[in-house]
Amino acid sequence: MKKLRQVFFALLAVAAIGVLVFLLRMTQSVDADLHRARLERIQVVGNLDVLLNRQFTGSRVSSLADSVTDRSGTTGQLDTALNALDKDAGALRGLTPEIDKALDTFLDTIESKFELAFDSEARNTLLTQRLINSMDAVPTYADAVTAAATDAQREEVRNLTMQVKTEIVNFGVTPTPPAAAAGNIRALLEQLQAMAPPTPPPAPVAEGEPQFEPEDPPFTKAVKGLRDRSEEVIADKTELVAKLRDFLDRPTGPQLQALEQAYMSWHEGQVAVANQYRTYLAAYAAALLLVLAFLGFRLARSFREIDRANAELSHANEHLEEQVTARTKDLSTALQDLRASQAQLVQSEKMASLGTMVAGVAHEINTPLGYARSNTEIVRNSLDDLRGLITAQDRALTLMTAQNASDEEVATALTEAEGLRATLNPAETMEDLGNLLKDTDFGLVQIADLVSSLKDFSRVDRSRTDLFDINSGIDSALKIANNLLKTRIEVVRQFGPLPQVECSPSQLNQVFLNLFTNAAQAIEGEGKIYIHTSAEAEGVIVRILDTGCGMTEEVRARIFEPFFTTKAVGKGTGLGLSIVFRIIEEHGGRIDVRSTVGKGSEFVIRLPLKQKRQSGDTAVSAAPELAAA
Amino acid sequence: MDDVAPTQKARVLFVDDEPRVLTTMRMLFRSRYEVFFAESGQAALDLLKTQPVDVIVSDQRMPGMTGIEMLRAARDLNPNAMRILLTGYSDLNAIIGSINEGEIFRFVNKPWMNDDLSTTVARAVAAAKASMAAAAAAPAETADSPAVQPVAGAAGVLVMDDDPRVPPQIQTILGPSFKVYGASSMNEAVEQLEKNQIGVVISDTRVQDHPVVSLIGTLKQHHPELVSVILTDRADAGSAIELINQGQIYRFITKPIHDSQCKIAVNSAVRQHQRLAASPTLHQRYEVEAPAAPPPVAAGGTGLLDRVKSLRSWVRRLGS
Repeated sequence: MKKLRQVFFALLAVAAIGVLVFLLRMTQSVDADLHRARLERIQVVGNLDVLLNRQFTGSRVSSLADSVTDRSGTTGQLDTALNALDKDAGALRGLTPEIDKALDTFLDTIESKFELAFDSEARNTLLTQRLINSMDAVPTYADAVTAAATDAQREEVRNLTMQVKTEIVNFGVTPTPPAAAAGNIRALLEQLQAMAPPTPPPAPVAEGEPQFEPEDPPFTKAVKGLRDRSEEVIADKTELVAKLRDFLDRPTGPQLQALEQAYMSWHEGQVAVANQYRTYLAAYAAALLLVLAFLGFRLARSFREIDRANAELSHANEHLEEQVTARTKDLSTALQDLRASQAQLVQSEKMASLGTMVAGVAHEINTPLGYARSNTEIVRNSLDDLRGLITAQDRALTLMTAQNASDEEVATALTEAEGLRATLNPAETMEDLGNLLKDTDFGLVQIADLVSSLKDFSRVDRSRTDLFDINSGIDSALKIANNLLKTRIEVVRQFGPLPQVECSPSQLNQVFLNLFTNAAQAIEGEGKIYIHTSAEAEGVIVRILDTGCGMTEEVRARIFEPFFTTKAVGKGTGLGLSIVFRIIEEHGGRIDVRSTVGKGSEFVIRLPLKQKRQSGDTAVSAAPELAAA
Repeated sequence: MDDVAPTQKARVLFVDDEPRVLTTMRMLFRSRYEVFFAESGQAALDLLKTQPVDVIVSDQRMPGMTGIEMLRAARDLNPNAMRILLTGYSDLNAIIGSINEGEIFRFVNKPWMNDDLSTTVARAVAAAKASMAAAAAAPAETADSPAVQPVAGAAGVLVMDDDPRVPPQIQTILGPSFKVYGASSMNEAVEQLEKNQIGVVISDTRVQDHPVVSLIGTLKQHHPELVSVILTDRADAGSAIELINQGQIYRFITKPIHDSQCKIAVNSAVRQHQRLAASPTLHQRYEVEAPAAPPPVAAGGTGLLDRVKSLRSWVRRLGS
C-alpha cells in the first residue's frame, strides 16, 4: 500500500514536470533569430530584384559588356538568395499553404523574369549595338544635311540638325524615353525636309562637292539619310524599351510583399499561440508554486511535530527515573488496593455461593425434617391411642380372670375394649405406624447424609493436603448442589475407578460445586449434566458436560479472567471460574473448556496423582490466602 | 357444587414432590377431610380440572413447575380454593410472587408443627366454605362485574411512609379519582383512619422503626374489608411471610415505584375492598393469625390498638 502510494506520487511528479517542459517548449516555438533571418532573406531577395531591374534599366551602351557581367553576378546572388528562401534550413517553405502558394507565385514570376532576361540577351545586345552604331552615325548625317543646306538656310538647318542630334542622343541614352520624344524627332526632321528648295533649279554647289542627281537634290538626300538613321534609332530604341518594360513589369515586388505579408501573418499567429501558452505556463507555474508551498508547509509542520516529539522524548528521558519511581509507587499502592478489594470480592463470592448453598441445603434438610417430625408426632399420638386400647384390653382380661368380677362388668369392659379396637383398627394402625417410622428413618438418613456431605464438602476436619477420592468429592458437591439441579436437571454419572489423589479436598469440592452451579445456570429449563471420570497414567480426568446455552468464542476465551461475568450486574462477582482456575493451577493440573453456542459446554479437568513438593507447598501456602479471603 | 351438604367432608389437595410428605399428610388429614395428592404441579392441575377442591397445600420447589406457578394456574381453574404454600426455603422473589400472583392464604415453613398445620388448614377450609356460600348467595357477582368497579371518592387511600414525598407521588400516579391521605407515623395513620373513609392502606414494612405488621394485622382482624398493600425498599423474606400470615396483605411491591405497577396494584386493591365491603362473608378468606407476641406498637402508643379496634368511622360506615 505504501509502495503503491510512493509510485503514485513519483508518477505525479514526472507528469507535472512533463507538463512544465511541454509548456516551456510551446512558449519558445517562436524563434526570433530565425524570424529575423527570414525577414532578412526576403529583404535580400527584394534588394537583389530591384538591383537587377536597375541593372537592366541602366545598361549603358558604352559599357555593354560590363552590364552583362554585373547582371550575371546579380542573377547568381539572387539565385542563392532564392534558394535560401525556398529550400535551405530556415526557409519559408512548408510553414503554411498560404506561404507556400505566395512563394510559388513569386518564384514562378522571378523564374520567368530570368528566362526573359536570358532569352532577350542576344537580341538586346544586337539592338543596343545597332542603336549605338546608328546614334554614332547620326552626327555625320546631320552634318551632311547642314552642309547641303543653302547658305541662307544654313544657320537654321544647323540649329535643327543640332536639335535632332540632341534629341536622338537623349532618346537613345534615356532608358525609357517619353513617348513624345520620337514624335519630336520626326517633327524636327519634317521641318528639315520642309527647308529643301522648292524648285528644282539646282543651286550652285561648291566645287569639291559631289554632284547629285538632279532629281535628287543633295539636301533632300541628306535629310533622307538622317531620317533613315533616326528611324533606325527610334525603332531599335522602341524595341529595347518594350523589352525593358516587359521585364520590369513582371510583378515580383508585390508578390514578394504578399509573401512577406503571408509570412508575417503566420508569424503573428505563432506569436499569439506562444503568448497563449505563456499565459498557461504562468498559471501552471503559479499552481505548482502553490502545491510546493503546501508541501513545504506540511513538511515544516512534520518537522515541528518531530521536533516536539523529540523534545518530549528527551524530556521524558530526563524525567524517566522520577516517573518510574512515581509509577512504581502508584502501582504498588494500586496493587495493595487491588489485593484488598480482590480479597473482599473473593469473600463476597464465597458468601454468595454460601447463601445459595444454604438455601438449597435448608430446603433439602427441612423437607425430611418436616415429615420426620410430623411422623413422630403422629406415632406418639397413635401410641397414646394404642396405650388406651391396651389398657382397656388389660382391664377386660383382668376382670375376666378376676374371681369376684360380675359378668356384666366383664361384658362392659370387653365391649369397651372391642369398641376401641374397632375404632383404632390396630393391625392397620400398626402397619401405618411401621411405614411412618420407615419414612422417618429414611428422612433421618437423608439428613445425616446431607450433613456428612456438608462435612465432607468443607473438610474442615481434615488436613489441607490429603489423599482424596475425587468421585466421592463430586458426589458430595452434587448433594450440596442438588436443590439447583433436581427440579429440572438430570445428572448422569459415569464414574470410572479412580486412584486416590493428593490434593486439598475442600478446594476441589469448591471447584466441583462452582462448575455444577455454572452448568445449572447455563441450562434454561430442563437439561442434562454428564459427569465422566477416568484414570490416566499420571493422574485423573474429570469431564463435566452440560446441555446449556454454551458460549461464544469471545466469552470462552475470557471466562477464567477475574471479574469477567456474563451475569447481570450484582448477580455474579465474576470470580467463580477464576477461583476454579487458580485452584486447579495450584494443584499442578489444568482445566480446558470447549463450548458451542446453543449446545452446551464441556469443562475438562486433569489432576496429577501426586503434588510436586514445590507445587504442594504453593497449594498449601495458597490455601490460607483463599481461606482468609 | 350446588348441593354442598354441611356434613360432606372438605376436599384438600396436597402437592409435594417428596412422596413421604404426602404419606404424612394422608395420615394427618385423612380422618377429617377428603384428601387428594399430586407429586408435581402438572399432576395437581390435571387433577383440579376434574376435582374441584377447597384447599390446596403445595410445596414451592418441585421439578418442572414451582408451587407458585401451579397456584397461579390453580387460581384460574378453581378460584374459590384457598391456597397454602408449604416450603422449606423460599427466596424473597418466590414469596413476593406468591403474594401478588398466587394470592395465597398462608405460608407454612417446613418443618411444620402438626397442630399449627391442622389449624391453618381448618381455617382455610372454613374460609373456603364461607366464600362458597357467598358465591352461592350472589352468583352473579364476579370479580370482573361492573358492580365492583372502583368509584371515585368511594374509598380513600392511606399512605404510610417515613418519606413525606411518597404520598404526593402516589396521588400523582393514581390521578384525581382517588383521595390519597398521608401519614408518617402510626398515630397519624390512626387519626386519618378515624377521620376519613379509607379502603386501602399502602405502607412500608416499618414506619418510624416500628414494624407495621401488628397494626395491619389488627386492622385486618377488626376491619376485614380494609385492604393492605406493602410498598417498600427493605423487602426481606421473614417480614413478607409475617405480613401475609398475620396481615393478609393483598399486594407486595418494591421501590423504586413503577407507575403502572403501582396503579394496577392499587386499582385491584380498591376493587378488592369494595368486594369485601359488599359481602362480609368473604372476610373469612382474609382472616389473619393472631400475632404470636403482644404487638410492640402497643408499648409505643397507649391504647393505639384499642383505638384501632373501635374506630368510629368504621362503626359509622358499617352502620350506614
